[in-house]
Amino acid sequence: MGGEGGQGVQTAADILAQAAFEEGKEALYIPNFGIEQRGGVSLAFVQIGANPVGSPKFDQAHLVVALSARSLERLQDYLHEGSTLLYDSSLLAPPEVSDSVVGWQAYDTIAPEAFAERRLTDRRQKFPRITKKVHKILGLPAGEMASSRLHPRVSNIIVLGAAARLIEIVRLEEVKKALEKRLANKIRRDPKLKELNYKALELGWEAADRMLKGREAGAAV
Amino acid sequence: MITNTQTLTVLWSVNKGDNMSNKYGNDTDSNIRPAGHGDRRAFMYGNEVVVRAALAAKAEFLYGYPITPQNEIMHYWSRLAPAQGGKFLQTEDELSAGFATLGGIMAGARSFSATAGPGTVLFQEPLSMAEMMRIPIVLIVQQRGGPSTATVIYSQQEVFLAIFGGNGEGLRVVYSPGGHQEMYDYTIKAFDTAWRYRFPTLVLGDGYQAKMREPVVLYDPEERGMQLQPAVPFVGGEGVPGVEREPAHWRNAFSVEEELFEALQPIIHDFQHAAPFLTEMEASDLEGAEIIVTGHGIVGRSAREAVRELRAGGVPAGFFRPLTLRPFPAKDLKRILDSCPRLLVVESAQGQLTKLFRIAIGGELEHRVEMYPYFRPGLGITAEEIAREVRAILGGERKEEARAAVSIL
Repeated sequence: MGGEGGQGVQTAADILAQAAFEEGKEALYIPNFGIEQRGGVSLAFVQIGANPVGSPKFDQAHLVVALSARSLERLQDYLHEGSTLLYDSSLLAPPEVSDSVVGWQAYDTIAPEAFAERRLTDRRQKFPRITKKVHKILGLPAGEMASSRLHPRVSNIIVLGAAARLIEIVRLEEVKKALEKRLANKIRRDPKLKELNYKALELGWEAADRMLKGREAGAAV
Repeated sequence: MITNTQTLTVLWSVNKGDNMSNKYGNDTDSNIRPAGHGDRRAFMYGNEVVVRAALAAKAEFLYGYPITPQNEIMHYWSRLAPAQGGKFLQTEDELSAGFATLGGIMAGARSFSATAGPGTVLFQEPLSMAEMMRIPIVLIVQQRGGPSTATVIYSQQEVFLAIFGGNGEGLRVVYSPGGHQEMYDYTIKAFDTAWRYRFPTLVLGDGYQAKMREPVVLYDPEERGMQLQPAVPFVGGEGVPGVEREPAHWRNAFSVEEELFEALQPIIHDFQHAAPFLTEMEASDLEGAEIIVTGHGIVGRSAREAVRELRAGGVPAGFFRPLTLRPFPAKDLKRILDSCPRLLVVESAQGQLTKLFRIAIGGELEHRVEMYPYFRPGLGITAEEIAREVRAILGGERKEEARAAVSIL
């Protein structure tokens, strides 16, 4: 999972790993970031399995989540033919179709582009060129969904909900539990945050659910 | 209980409810759950594991100076330790942290510190004093990239610093854990080793182990029958010194060469005689192995995983990992290499571990052993890439370049 520092990548990845642990799985989460206090590319790696995890890092990811163009460039190394790539289509313009990249054009790109493009095209980052074939590319306008329906700050939790649904290992209930633990201090100060974050989780989870079931996700937002 | 703290004038103990707990205390207790026999299973950051282990080993005082990636050791300590009477002092730099720790220990408090990178450099002077005066200091090192400021993330570039960084003979014990469970086990053990043998004892972790979260089983060492060596004061004992008891006289300065030479003999003797009791290693899949894959710490774990994958695919690879880098398990290594003289050394440094292997192998065996390097200074290493490297070596693809790389060390 990657994004710019401050987008909440670490929190989302940490909660996902914790949810897997709560579910009785072996899990490992490791952050990777530079010396910047703000900004800079922030990457997080999560491994979940039945057996204890070996190395903290790995070569190939089943799921790559990108919240910025720069981070996706760094995460390209982890893509392979079995990977699903989930990106925030309100921040990253959907990939352009071109002959040189026709390999992935054939796959489902269930991004609600029509919706997102109307309002955000000019400000979105350019999708980096993906040189590897992947299994699926999924666009989710998490930023837009968060701003218009909940609160801009929970877009990472929407992404978390979608990611949790896509890996098909953890139940939504466990993710909620893990989220509540991770954000306990914030929730204690402002109890409304619990419901807000739960809603964000559900929104992401349901959007990914529709993607997996092949329905057009754009219709939902 | 802290005794004889006269020398410590500035104490700062952080109470529960301090601001820090908001940021770093994220309900750590709610992540811990029972796992039978008084054990508790938790999903935790490595730096918190260190603190839990230090508390389980009845540590009383942490003196430290912040540096990434070990900062959270201080954060968690100042949140969790006060409940057990633990104290914390942030000093003005690592030199001061090191000497303050020595002061705390001499006063009878089970004290320790933690650092990384350039901080490990500054710690050399107090560590070296501890070697000379036999002060049982425990130091946790979470290696970051080097040289200099480099990265705050990860490396295995502080191996030589941990062992030979001081002026002197490297009379230290260095454990290299490979994950949270070992981080817990060996941090506890470090406190026992330090006090039992009275040599500085380092737990050489790294930024990955510091910052990652994974499951760990926490336990009370006494419930498992471990008798931790008690901490006793070096100074300020009962009675009038020179009259009712021998005066305490801890020296690190000598007037003449012969005096130093004489003073060093028992220290070196003790270290040499303790070594066989201290060395630890892990080995597996040696039966019929055509290559031994080795690495230490978190890389050792990748190596173990690589060997498991290779074996599952019918590739005859064996696994060896030194758990103590100092003293080094040379005997075990020689025995293993005697039957399989082909070795792949994997490390996130440019040959620091490899040098230890070459020293350990030595003699006649050195010319027989085919040693292959896989150096990624400052970079993480996955099991997959190690497995690929082993296949390339066994397929005859690496012979010449490997020789060249080893010879330029």
